[in-house]
Amino acid sequence: MLAQVETFKAITAARVRKVYETPSGPVEAVAEAGFEIARGDFVSILGPSGCGKSTLMLMIAGLESTTSGTITLDGLQVSGPQTDAGMMFQDPTLLPWRSVLDNVLFPIDMRGAVSSESRTRAESLLRMVDLWSFRDKRPRELSGGMRQRVALARALVNDPRILLMDEPFSALDAITRDEMGYALARIWDTTRKTAIFITHSIREAIFLSDRVLVMGRRPSTIIEDVRIPFERPRDPSIEADPRFNELYLHLKASIHRTTGAQ
Amino acid sequence: MNGIVKNSDLAPTSAASARAPLPAPSPPSRLGVLRGQARLVVLPVIAAALVITGWEAVVRIKQIPNTLLPAPSAVAIRLTETLPFLLGQAVPTTLETIASFLISMVLGISLAVLICKSRLMRDALYPNIVLFQLIPKIALAPLFIVWLGIGSTSRITFGVFISFFPVVVATLTGLTSVDRDLLRLCKAVGADESRIYAKVRFPAAVPHLFSGLKIAITFAMIGVIVGEFITAQAGLGYMILFAASQAEMTLIFASIVVLCVIGLVLYGIIVMAEALALKKYGA
Ligand SMILES: Nc1ncnc2c1ncn2[C@@H]1O[C@H](COP(=O)(O)OP(=O)(O)OP(=O)(O)O)[C@@H](O)[C@H]1O
Ligand SMILES: [Mg+2]
Repeated sequence: MLAQVETFKAITAARVRKVYETPSGPVEAVAEAGFEIARGDFVSILGPSGCGKSTLMLMIAGLESTTSGTITLDGLQVSGPQTDAGMMFQDPTLLPWRSVLDNVLFPIDMRGAVSSESRTRAESLLRMVDLWSFRDKRPRELSGGMRQRVALARALVNDPRILLMDEPFSALDAITRDEMGYALARIWDTTRKTAIFITHSIREAIFLSDRVLVMGRRPSTIIEDVRIPFERPRDPSIEADPRFNELYLHLKASIHRTTGAQ
Repeated sequence: MNGIVKNSDLAPTSAASARAPLPAPSPPSRLGVLRGQARLVVLPVIAAALVITGWEAVVRIKQIPNTLLPAPSAVAIRLTETLPFLLGQAVPTTLETIASFLISMVLGISLAVLICKSRLMRDALYPNIVLFQLIPKIALAPLFIVWLGIGSTSRITFGVFISFFPVVVATLTGLTSVDRDLLRLCKAVGADESRIYAKVRFPAAVPHLFSGLKIAITFAMIGVIVGEFITAQAGLGYMILFAASQAEMTLIFASIVVLCVIGLVLYGIIVMAEALALKKYGA
């Protein structure tokens, strides 16, 4: 790979706008979003419900077009589905008729490219998310947290350049959610993939991220961009750090400002 | 305390009864002894047997003539006498029903895929297919005879005509039941449409499909019987019509019994296929 390529930002968005045409008229989901994300950064996006976070993520993945503005991945403009983005959603969206292992292999199988190497890779990912002993089970036999861990392994199986996660832990109970956050931090540390993580939990965002972006209420822009200084690998004990609380209060105040403004 | 309360002392206010647990659920009735699977089979059979016995009793006591309402025993005797003949008549009815059903299945699934794939097709076809269902389709049966003659083609076509719709609706429901995010994931990993159908949409549609097929098989049989009524050539539908013209009530009922058994067997085959499919594709 050329050295120059390395200097590209992993993800850039410039004056990105999205208007959905609906039967009841146009809906401006994103007014003007602009940011740059460095390779290997874990970036969280916070913002009130309906401010266009999911829309932004779909545009980065190339699954929704931009109404105007440009998005680039590794210096190349996004103009269609990005096959090397690993994705996670609020629901695990596993296939109930497939085993855990076959669900992890799903993205490769959908391109008809399952090989013994990909199988080995899927198996090592299952070990990484602590589901090795469940590899032959069906999703219905797993708990919600375990299902999201399968979805995480599935998102990583193509060895994607970027990881896009849209509130992946929102449907989990508080304790499982914390555990998933710790597990994600641990796994992310071993891969260090450029990641965008959408969440409503400020603490989760601080704990996981190198940077936190805050989106304002619709029609929305990025209104805050905060760097999170904690060393990696991170330990749950950082929540006791006074800086953690300071960041928490700061982000909370800026989110409240956006909701109060309307 | 308990020690000094004798049996004869037990009154509602005694310590023993005050401490007695809440009244136990009333003891199971005699039929309640049957539990689980056995109960599910035995109870309906008992109920049916009671009705048939009552029917037999009424016919005998009131001395209702066979030409009006034959006793079940008379039907049974007639059935055993004519069974080989009736089974011969059942062959075309059964084959035409199966043919109607299979064509409906293929046609229904294909239409559902077409509608699911193409926005244009959905907007153009679906409202028409739904409106089409408002026609009392049985009333159109004679048209099929005019167009297609009195052979099995017209009966099979009519069977398809009235049985394909449930397959379309059920399959379409299944094909479109796939989670939006899962479809996005498929696109994001670079899957082409045919793979999405083969590996995601069709498997997801399997449970829905079977609910449509179960309706289709009964509708297909209705279509074929109505066709036999009109074309009057062969088959159990024709036998019923013929026997009615001769006031042969026992023969009518014997034919109906054979029809019921065939219907049950065909339905049962689909239920078994469904059970197998759900083992693999059920949630
Ligand atoms: N496919 C669509 N068609 C029309 N409007 C849409 C579509 N998707 C989203 N919208 C609208 O765009 C706006 C932003 O939606 P989006 O889902 O991106 O918000 P969000 O920030 O992810 O919200 P949440 O936090 O609740 O997930 C909302 O008003 C929504 O109704
Ligand atoms: Mg969202």
